[in-house]
Amino acid sequence: MHELSMAQGIINTVLETAENNGATEVNKIYIEVGKLAMLNPEQLKFLLDVLVENTMAENAKIDILEVPVTISCPECGYEGVANLDDSDHYAPIIECPKCENLRISILGGRDCIVKNIIVEKPDEE
Amino acid sequence: MHKVADIEVQKNIMDANRKLADRNKKNFEDNGIFCVDFVGAIGSGKTSLIEDIIENTDYNIGVIAGDVISEFDAGRIEKHDVPVVGLNTGKECHLDAHLVGHGVGDLPLDDIDLLIIENVGNLICPVDFELGSHMRIVVVSVTEGDDTVEKHPLIFKGADLVVINKVDLAEAVGADANKMVDDAKRLNPDVKIIKSSLKEGIGLEEIIDAIAEKKENI
Repeated sequence: MHELSMAQGIINTVLETAENNGATEVNKIYIEVGKLAMLNPEQLKFLLDVLVENTMAENAKIDILEVPVTISCPECGYEGVANLDDSDHYAPIIECPKCENLRISILGGRDCIVKNIIVEKPDEE
Repeated sequence: MHKVADIEVQKNIMDANRKLADRNKKNFEDNGIFCVDFVGAIGSGKTSLIEDIIENTDYNIGVIAGDVISEFDAGRIEKHDVPVVGLNTGKECHLDAHLVGHGVGDLPLDDIDLLIIENVGNLICPVDFELGSHMRIVVVSVTEGDDTVEKHPLIFKGADLVVINKVDLAEAVGADANKMVDDAKRLNPDVKIIKSSLKEGIGLEEIIDAIAEKKENI
């Protein structure tokens, strides 16, 4: 159940960025979660909705994009999106889509990134 | 009047832990310490294996025992007369690099050449949290069911050594230890896999050798 600590990290980042930019309200939060991160997007969304209560992000729309796994294959030289045998977020076996090799290096898909936020700011004058 | 602004954040929430893990590793290396972390489910045999390693090697060992309430495991290890720090994770399901960094600060690093970290009993959450160790050993017992390996692919993919424990009980619980070996090989083709029964003294020597070999090659 580490969605909670991740969600807290996300909200801290969002609020800190918003404050540093003089925002009064956060309208949208864009997050990317890699398919190899042990995070369930549904649970993460639920916790984020709870954590934004009584903050300037209370009414923010939260958008979580799942990012595919990218690999490099030392056998055939393929670099790109991997084949995952299972659509289940938690149990993928990762293989090269070109030569079906399982001895691959993972390049991406393990992260949880706050991409950008849309905020409201008072006019300068 | 208000205006709307799109602010680029680009902050990776996982990076904070990875940076601290790198810092831990550097700290270990500056102090000439080889660090092994043990992950595995509750009751897989992690603490028993650590006790056996302490009793059967000549390393100067220090232990960080992480658990939701760490005093039980830390108390067991303390009896072997090695420095041990218990890390309480409380509600959290895993150790992270930040907690480990604190634990390391309470150990006499000058007197340690092998640091053992015991993670919380969990095959899921530790995947996302590197600690800065040089070697990750995943301990799984046949009593957890012989589908345990295939159900938790990522923890086995990240393992440097897989220990399939309690093989003496396989028949009693209707588990196929060789299926678990095959599953681990499929997930992590190059990983070393050792079948063990700590109670029967099977596999311990091989595990100790595997740690020594990895330590030599760092």
